[in-house]
Amino acid sequence: MKLIWDEIQRAVPLILHGNPTLFSVIGFTLQVALVATAAATVIGLPIGLAIGLGRFRGRQVLRVLANVSLAIPPVLVGTFLFVLFSPRAPLGSLHLIYTRRVVFVAQAILALPFVVALTAAAVQGLPPGLLAQARLLGAGRLQVWALALREARIGVMAAVIAALGVSLSEVAAVVILGGNIYDYNQTLASATLYEVNGGYYADAVAIAIVLIALILILMCGLALLQHQGNGIRLRFRSAA
Amino acid sequence: MTGADHPAPGRVLLRCEHLTVRRGKREVIADVSAELRAGEIVALLGPNGAGKSTLLDALAGALAPAEGRIERHGRVGIALQSPDLARRTVFANVTLALAWWGVPRPERTERAREALRAIGADHLARRRAATLSGGERRRVHLARAIAVRPDVLLLDEPFAGLDAEVRSNLLEDALSALRSSTRATLVVVHDRAEAWALADRLLILLDGRLAASGSPRDLLERPPTVAVARFLGFDGSLDDGHELLLTRPAHVALDPAGAFEARVTRASPLEDGARLELELDQGRVYAVAPLPAPRTGDAVRIRIDGGARFPLRETSAQFETPTYPPATPG
Repeated sequence: MKLIWDEIQRAVPLILHGNPTLFSVIGFTLQVALVATAAATVIGLPIGLAIGLGRFRGRQVLRVLANVSLAIPPVLVGTFLFVLFSPRAPLGSLHLIYTRRVVFVAQAILALPFVVALTAAAVQGLPPGLLAQARLLGAGRLQVWALALREARIGVMAAVIAALGVSLSEVAAVVILGGNIYDYNQTLASATLYEVNGGYYADAVAIAIVLIALILILMCGLALLQHQGNGIRLRFRSAA
Repeated sequence: MTGADHPAPGRVLLRCEHLTVRRGKREVIADVSAELRAGEIVALLGPNGAGKSTLLDALAGALAPAEGRIERHGRVGIALQSPDLARRTVFANVTLALAWWGVPRPERTERAREALRAIGADHLARRRAATLSGGERRRVHLARAIAVRPDVLLLDEPFAGLDAEVRSNLLEDALSALRSSTRATLVVVHDRAEAWALADRLLILLDGRLAASGSPRDLLERPPTVAVARFLGFDGSLDDGHELLLTRPAHVALDPAGAFEARVTRASPLEDGARLELELDQGRVYAVAPLPAPRTGDAVRIRIDGGARFPLRETSAQFETPTYPPATPG
């Protein structure tokens, strides 16, 4: 316990003195988290809605796949993507390995199943009569989807929060694909790992404190938005 | 909808011919032919599982017919049985329905107000849907269907699950709100009293088949089959060896000078009297007696005014018809 307290005491001045590398990592982590979450949301919401509301063959299989993908270890995803993006692989021509871009791609791919599975579950829990009534009163597919998103907004926000959580804290795939290169493509989580591996525990604790603070701030903001609902209502009003 | 022998005023807005509908492999609706004309309010009656909601879904276009065809002359609007509302205000729910229906934005506010007023729900306009009682939800659900002004309005059990007082109030408001010379309305009801209060015409669906069609009075006076009579509350039956006389409690009166001698086998208390089960040599009938009512075991004389007669040889195949719940008193 004393050891941890000592490391925290050494870490705090590192944060307060404003290490430029630390700020660079914070900035990159925020960029990655927001872009990856946004990409996962934009791609995942329609897929989640289609799985949750659609009536096509194979829907159950897709739902199971989305749920299964929540449990796949990120290290496996990272390894698979590494093989896929390696120079002689089908996507090797994209030259993504050990770049900053690959970190965005990896985090978005890891966040995607959370958006898909949780959105599908949220809209499936809606009263079936409401959506059926909308269809029977002439609502088109987009109107039904807008209604479902709005009605299931708490569940959908939970999906986005989960995606953001993954984007902020996942480390294995980022390290495998990006190489965890100092002051280039490190996120707060991968930088923590880097410092621990190097034996710089005070720096690792400093980064961990910043990461936890960032997670707390972002999650509190989203939780407020989730329960207040006003911002969401304004967003979807035009769709109705 | 009307049978071929009951021409109604107004043009035909919806017609189905030899309609058969399946859910999976099960045939739920079989060979139903009927039509619905402008200005009519038609009640679709039938026991649980008769296929009423399935027929409505097919007429609305939500289910494809397996056989037969449906002609629609105008837009069909439907209010499903479950009054699920969006988590918005009542007013927003109605305008949302208008948006789905394709009503231009400038017209929505006035039409929503008008529909809420017509169904007596204008005082609820600013309330959140989640705060409404069951009766209020049903009212808003109906307002939503009326607001879109369909040519054909299909309502699936709009009064289900309400207590007697709330149902009675909603029924009164619905009666005036649903009446329109240009619209045809088909309303599925479970309770015969609701059908009597609302409808110009009844359709009776038994086991997925159209068993009867006609005005409520005609069907009560001359039910076409034993099964339809049983469904309409003809719970008493007397067999004289040649024909079967089916009676409703309204046909049976206690009368010291009556032609029949009977024994009370059961007396169930009612608010203002008792419902009596009366055993006769020819069968069993039911009557409602005012207070002081006879007790179980008493011998009484009764008079039978009316009832429906069926030749025995034509009805023998129908004796196995299940007994449906008795009509709501009155």
